[in-house]
Amino acid sequence: MARPDSNGRRLPSLPTEVINRNEPITFSWDGQPITGYQGDTITSALTAAGVDVMGRSLKYHRPRGLLTADYWDPNTIVQVGDEPNVRAGHRRIEAGMEVGPQNVWPSLRFDVRAVNDRFGPFLRAGFYYRTFMRPQRLWPVYERILAQFAPGGEVDPETPHSHHDKRYAHPDVVVAGGGPAGMAAALTAAQAGAQVMLVEHEPLLGGHLRWGDADDIGIADELEAAVRDAGVEVLSNSTVTGRYEDNWVAIVQRSLPLSGERLIKARAKVLVVAPGLIERPYVFAGNDRPGVVLSGAVRRLVNMYAVKPGSRAVVFSANPEGDATASVLEQAGIEIARLVDGRQGETVAAAHGSGRGIAHRVSGVELGDGTTVDADLLVIAVGWTAPTSLLNMAGDRPVYDPTTARFFPGGPPDNVLATGGISGDGTLDELVDHGRATGRLAAERAGVVAHRLRTLTTRSRPVEDPEPPWPGDHRLPLTRDPHPELFRSSTHGLVDFSEDISSKDLMAAASEGYDSVELVKRFTTATMGPAQGKLETVNTVAVLAEARGESIAEVGTTVWRPPFAPITLGALAGRVFEPTRVSSIQPWHNRHGATAILAGQWIRPDHYGDPQAEVRNVRENVGIIDVTPLGKLDLRGPDVPHLLGLLYTNKWMQLPVGGVRYGMMCAEDGVVLDDGVTGRLTDDHYIMTTTSSGAATVWEWAEMWLQTERPDWHVHVTPVTTAYTSINVAGPRSRQLVERVVDGIDLSPEAFAYMQVRRGTVAGVAQCFMWRIGFTGELSFELHVPAGHGLHVWEALLDAGADLGVQPFGLEAQRIMRLEKGHFIVGQDTDALTTAPSTGMTGLIKTDKNDFAGRPELVWALEPEARAGAPLVVAIQTTDPTIVPPEASQIVRPGTNEILGRITSSRFSPTLGRSVSLGQVQPEVAAPGSVLTIQLIGGDRIPARVMEHHAHVDPEGERLRG
Amino acid sequence: MAEPPFESPVSTPGPTGAALTLIDESASPKLVVRRFPDGPDGPDVAFGRAAPVGGALVVGIRPDEWWVLGDGNVDMDPALTMVDLTHGRAQFRLTGPAATTALETVCSLDWSDPMMPNGAATSASVAKVICDVVRDDRDGVASYLLLVDRSFAQYLFDALRDAAGQPSLR
Repeated sequence: MARPDSNGRRLPSLPTEVINRNEPITFSWDGQPITGYQGDTITSALTAAGVDVMGRSLKYHRPRGLLTADYWDPNTIVQVGDEPNVRAGHRRIEAGMEVGPQNVWPSLRFDVRAVNDRFGPFLRAGFYYRTFMRPQRLWPVYERILAQFAPGGEVDPETPHSHHDKRYAHPDVVVAGGGPAGMAAALTAAQAGAQVMLVEHEPLLGGHLRWGDADDIGIADELEAAVRDAGVEVLSNSTVTGRYEDNWVAIVQRSLPLSGERLIKARAKVLVVAPGLIERPYVFAGNDRPGVVLSGAVRRLVNMYAVKPGSRAVVFSANPEGDATASVLEQAGIEIARLVDGRQGETVAAAHGSGRGIAHRVSGVELGDGTTVDADLLVIAVGWTAPTSLLNMAGDRPVYDPTTARFFPGGPPDNVLATGGISGDGTLDELVDHGRATGRLAAERAGVVAHRLRTLTTRSRPVEDPEPPWPGDHRLPLTRDPHPELFRSSTHGLVDFSEDISSKDLMAAASEGYDSVELVKRFTTATMGPAQGKLETVNTVAVLAEARGESIAEVGTTVWRPPFAPITLGALAGRVFEPTRVSSIQPWHNRHGATAILAGQWIRPDHYGDPQAEVRNVRENVGIIDVTPLGKLDLRGPDVPHLLGLLYTNKWMQLPVGGVRYGMMCAEDGVVLDDGVTGRLTDDHYIMTTTSSGAATVWEWAEMWLQTERPDWHVHVTPVTTAYTSINVAGPRSRQLVERVVDGIDLSPEAFAYMQVRRGTVAGVAQCFMWRIGFTGELSFELHVPAGHGLHVWEALLDAGADLGVQPFGLEAQRIMRLEKGHFIVGQDTDALTTAPSTGMTGLIKTDKNDFAGRPELVWALEPEARAGAPLVVAIQTTDPTIVPPEASQIVRPGTNEILGRITSSRFSPTLGRSVSLGQVQPEVAAPGSVLTIQLIGGDRIPARVMEHHAHVDPEGERLRG
Repeated sequence: MAEPPFESPVSTPGPTGAALTLIDESASPKLVVRRFPDGPDGPDVAFGRAAPVGGALVVGIRPDEWWVLGDGNVDMDPALTMVDLTHGRAQFRLTGPAATTALETVCSLDWSDPMMPNGAATSASVAKVICDVVRDDRDGVASYLLLVDRSFAQYLFDALRDAAGQPSLR
């Protein structure tokens, strides 16, 4: 096991380090135990342990070591346990963590696919497009093979689901970036009274100060303390990944304990963009060789983690940060073999290695003058990329400044402000001052936005004060330090480390005509890998400009789109909300062994063990079913009959108090929308029922007509589906049972006939109503009781009817019985093309009414020529009574495959001892007695017959009227 | 036969910590009141606002529509439409310093004081279920009443309980 400091790469304790040397942590790398310290990243711990190669490149499978040693490092993306694509420069080590390389086979040391490197000249950009386009029919084969070369880690299908929170927030100001300018902005905005969220990508606030010296860290600590004291909500280890319309800001938070990533959907009144700058690589031969690192990586490794990245270095510097890095190296005891000054025209031409394969670390650096210097470390400090992603997403088009060799904001919208390095240079004090001015402006503008929002809503108190004027931007701009334009040496090298795209690839693409920046991006995939342009965009543009012989400003840049940083699918999904509904009796169903079924959002009892027995008990004794999901609308007002007449196809003006009527509803195209019964409780009070799945649709349908077409009608519609627990008592003994629990209602057939409604008390529960209808075709009483007493009434019925053989029955038994009775179900026996005449219930379509929804279409649909081509719902019985044709079986013309219809409902009837079905058939075979041919799954064909009535059982309706 | 007791639509207890409590108040009376545009006036409580009237809490929840919550004596014209939804809607009370944060995990609305002050009311999708929400503080502590179709009660209660147990509120 490698100790944290066993090979001399771990430096003695430094005042700037973030590791805890009292807490050694052991994890594994590629199966071997490694020990680091608490606070180490995977990259720092591996580097301290002497691991130089941490992965292989995408296409050529070249060995790769650290480049930036932070989140954006394209070379150190690893697998951690069952989690792929982990950024090793960012993820802290944990005890027992299993870390391994990605994109290698069979091993990191010996990767077979490294043979691609030998064939590099044949695998230039566009290779796949050209090679696998033809013949087109072979693409499925190509696809399977290419899938084997897909990069990235592996996800175990057995991986348990992780928990992901989601949160919505409406802060006044979101500050993206917790460097000195960002912290200053957040602090000042909070001090001005704004509610502020400060989002920092790294676990620690401070930005570049965190890898600076002890003084820098002292300043960062001081600013952070002030920020927290001011009440700023600090989200460290979190990233603003996207900015959308109206400052809808997506934040991915990684710092939650006991949870995976959390997506915060923040609606910021003002967004402050302060991401700092990202150091840019240099393009030259061998620039991806392990041992070639950026200056920021060196300072992070040495100052934060006390790790030496090499022993003898060449430093190629074109800025003060590079010079400072040379000092850091010297202080760490690393020999500076040569300082190459880019400001003086000096350059490096190539990094040479000491061997082949895994040991391919830098051993010598070839300079621009042709000399070669022995070194195992080449430090690059040639400039910066301004990560303008969030500004781009806000509509800003960055502008290139050749004097500083980087892009600057072009002019974001008023509710987006930029500060810090992305806006310019200067001393630390100047950056902080700019941040403060930005925070002040952000708070002022957020105040105006808040005033507008308060004025718009009815919820907040009346807003009396006038809207304040929009604050102008009077910030003093930051200075811009001159910087040489250093993008590519005299040699070619990699531009996009993630995608293995070289400067030679880009130039070749340009020469083939892919010479706009957007085209070259898509043709070569440059900037489209995991780094998403953070490191390679400017170099891509620069190489393209060189190829075109134009300036970078003329070439322009690509548009950066969300996400700024990758986000897990779990975080995007967040908390999974799948609303479910239950009746007040559901706990009883659960306790009594009911098999549940999800019907729409409703959890319902499908059966209690034997649905066929449940049917027989209803037919012979009495059963009760929980039909609470039946949609119920309370209709009140003098114009209810007019509304009913408008919604239903039949007539409603003469329905007496105490009466119940069945109705069918059509949409304006005459297609059946819903059906149900409506009862009249008092002069101005009705209860309408709908199908269980159609309740919301019918409510909206009624409101649409009332609010848009008939606003003069006095009708109030109130959904009361679950205000009542609904219980259907069905069977020849149902009257006996109901009589035992009802007070004040004469249940005799003379006093309470079929299709009537009564109100009264059931099992001591007042305010109930009941009607004599039923879906089963049996003598039925449907009880509707206040839901807070539903379980009580259910149990009272079971207690009262024990000697009558009362048993509960479920949805399946009801389906069987309604099919025996020939009742169709809207949406199952009808479809989106089924007009009312196709149901066979033409008697319900009263075209002599003045108007109703769907009337014009239905007048036409009833014409003989329209009927000739429209299918009909019919009852069907197979010749062989034991065969139950599956629902959706096709009805075909004998001897052909011509489809004449389909089975829509099908069950075995325990009452008849045979199968029964409903189906839709063409008119030519819809007449009673017509012989049908049903094609079963598997191809067998069986004969069947169209029945005279929809009802297979009791077509005369004697049972239900009993 | 005496009327049986009201059966709660939820079978699980809510959190009762100092940061947040969640209580089922579904048994409390709930009357929905509506007026026709040319009919008599309803309670004098504006749309989007709630106020105590005659011992009840009257909530202007939609234009020309009010909730009358709790026992009370609210003087109303009989020509108004009144539907007793005590059994049709569950009512939960979410109270505590963390109540707003809990709501932020299940609903996208802005629950901050300026936008949803005490006495404000709104309809909202909470955990993907349509609810009426009333800010009804208790002794200066943020408190929200949530009214939801009774059939969704157990689901919503569990969703709120789960939200209350999120890592940042533990």
